[in-house]
Amino acid sequence: MSVYFPQKWLPYGLLLPQLLVTAVFFLWPAGQAVEQAFYQEDAFGLSRDFVGLDNFIALFQSAEYFAALGTTLVFSVSVAGLGLVLALLLAVMADRVLRAAMVYQTLLIWPYAVAPALAGVLWWVLFDPSIGPLALALQTLGVDWNHYLNGDQAMLLVVIAATWKQISYNFLFFLAGLQAIPRSLIEAAAIDGAGPAKRFFDIVLPLLSPTTFFLLVVNVVYAFFDTFAVIDATTQGGPGQSTTTMVYKVYKDGFVGLDLGSSAAQSVVLMVVVGLMTIIQFRYIERKVQY
Amino acid sequence: MSEVILKQMGKTYPNGHTAVASLDLEIAAGEFIVLVGPSGCGKSTLLRMVAGLESISTGELLIQDERVNDKEPAQRDIAMVFQNYALYPHMSVYDNMAYGLKNRGIAKAQITEQVQAVAKMLELEALLQRKPKQLSGGQRQRVAMGRAMVRDPKVFLFDEPLSNLDAKLRVQMRVEIRALQRKLGTTTLYVTHDQVEAMTLADRLVVLNQGHVEQIGTPMEVYERPASTFVAQFIGSPAMNLIPSKMVDGKPALDVDIPVACPHLLASSVLLGVRPEHVDIVPLSETALQLQVLAIEALGAETLLHGTLEGWGDTAPTFVVRLAGQHQPALGERIGLRVSPEAWHVFDGDTQKRITQCN
Repeated sequence: MSVYFPQKWLPYGLLLPQLLVTAVFFLWPAGQAVEQAFYQEDAFGLSRDFVGLDNFIALFQSAEYFAALGTTLVFSVSVAGLGLVLALLLAVMADRVLRAAMVYQTLLIWPYAVAPALAGVLWWVLFDPSIGPLALALQTLGVDWNHYLNGDQAMLLVVIAATWKQISYNFLFFLAGLQAIPRSLIEAAAIDGAGPAKRFFDIVLPLLSPTTFFLLVVNVVYAFFDTFAVIDATTQGGPGQSTTTMVYKVYKDGFVGLDLGSSAAQSVVLMVVVGLMTIIQFRYIERKVQY
Repeated sequence: MSEVILKQMGKTYPNGHTAVASLDLEIAAGEFIVLVGPSGCGKSTLLRMVAGLESISTGELLIQDERVNDKEPAQRDIAMVFQNYALYPHMSVYDNMAYGLKNRGIAKAQITEQVQAVAKMLELEALLQRKPKQLSGGQRQRVAMGRAMVRDPKVFLFDEPLSNLDAKLRVQMRVEIRALQRKLGTTTLYVTHDQVEAMTLADRLVVLNQGHVEQIGTPMEVYERPASTFVAQFIGSPAMNLIPSKMVDGKPALDVDIPVACPHLLASSVLLGVRPEHVDIVPLSETALQLQVLAIEALGAETLLHGTLEGWGDTAPTFVVRLAGQHQPALGERIGLRVSPEAWHVFDGDTQKRITQCN
């Protein structure tokens, strides 16, 4: 539908606030990052030299960067996979609840309202080797939990914290998806001789595939880009580099290491990745998964 | 031999609501039974209990002399056609029909053979590779029936299968369903709220009202000898006229002479019923039973006259007359009516049940 405005300036005027926000908080810094990526700057910001693609070349020759890429992949696949499976499990169970369904659903949605940094701190406290109740419980079970020293445990901790935060969102979409499946389809399958598990895999899961695919993309994007606060509040990327994802490395190299050129180059790489994911999202999600 | 037996079967929900009260029904092999009644009468619940989709609270359900109360739907060897067809949207027509066979571990070659045979019978051969959303309403209906038929079950269950179709298609599918059922000879339980479907399809009708059976009988029995005022008004269109009256010494205490005699009724209130189509027009001079015409519905092939009856004491009950062909009396005009003695029905004023010892 098209709307015609009598004055030419009005539509632009109405768009201006949003465009200003976008320009100041997105386009300008993004432009700065692209520009920075081609310069070497001294730690005090007093001088800078144009170095061409040197920052990128250094980046792609750095083992640390590929380590961060690997960490990001492990982290993202774990968060997206765990988040989707657990949320689906919870949604299937919540869908069966007859009494007080609203209470369960509301409680399951709450974690989404918790700020990422708080979620990080929450899990950090729970798993703190000296005061955390969960860490102490693990120690009584014979598990030597110390995510300050053990990189795998640190990864597990950030995965748990980041997943916990995202499950609510996934749960909401899965529950809506489940409720949109007509009961008669499940009943028809029951009459057709399919047991509960078979019904789930033959009927429910395929019918949920548009929801699942949408959530997969959203979760991967979340794990890639929106988990800075969780990581910063729990492990700060450590121990060593074991929980330093690509986004966290941008911050660490730029604001802690003050290597602004490399940090900017990493931002540009991430921008390209976001762009690709956005294309995937628009290409496939707009068309939905075919069935 | 009875194929399906319902023994005092009932359904009471945990909240105390009784959807179906103790129901007895024996269905012969190959019989086409229609459960009919207004919405909320328990007919769908009853069907779902037979299917195994609702638990049975009281009584027993036997299929081929085997108690199946506690069996899963899949183990009862029944097939159901749902109101919204419930076709699996992500499967082709072929896979929709084959799904039940695959789950039962039937060999692939035999599945193909059975699906092809049914597809041929239903003229679905050209559509086997399509997805349900690429089909028209009538085709989907046919696939749903094909899915039920392909397993050759002991019992077909239909839950208002035609209510999502347009009027013309509904008539066509109605005829097809009847013909298919005759051909296959499969015992069938069919739920509908449409009395025309009920009358045309059924070998026997079960008229349900608020969870109770009002009457079980052939369509003609139900039409000619309705067991209660509910059945009298539910079956037949327009509904049967029911006029309240007093019986004194076995005769209606009215100014007009109604040829009804119930010798055993010395003093009681009754409802006198007569179907709109069982009334003839006669000159005013020949009858005391007169209708003051208040509205006319001309349908071409027939004419419906709505009005009030004269000569009925203080009350002037509303009355409908259905006449073949076209008639154009003036509004407000009085016309004379004649009803043959055998066309009158008498119902008890309190219990609403038919009084059989009249005439």
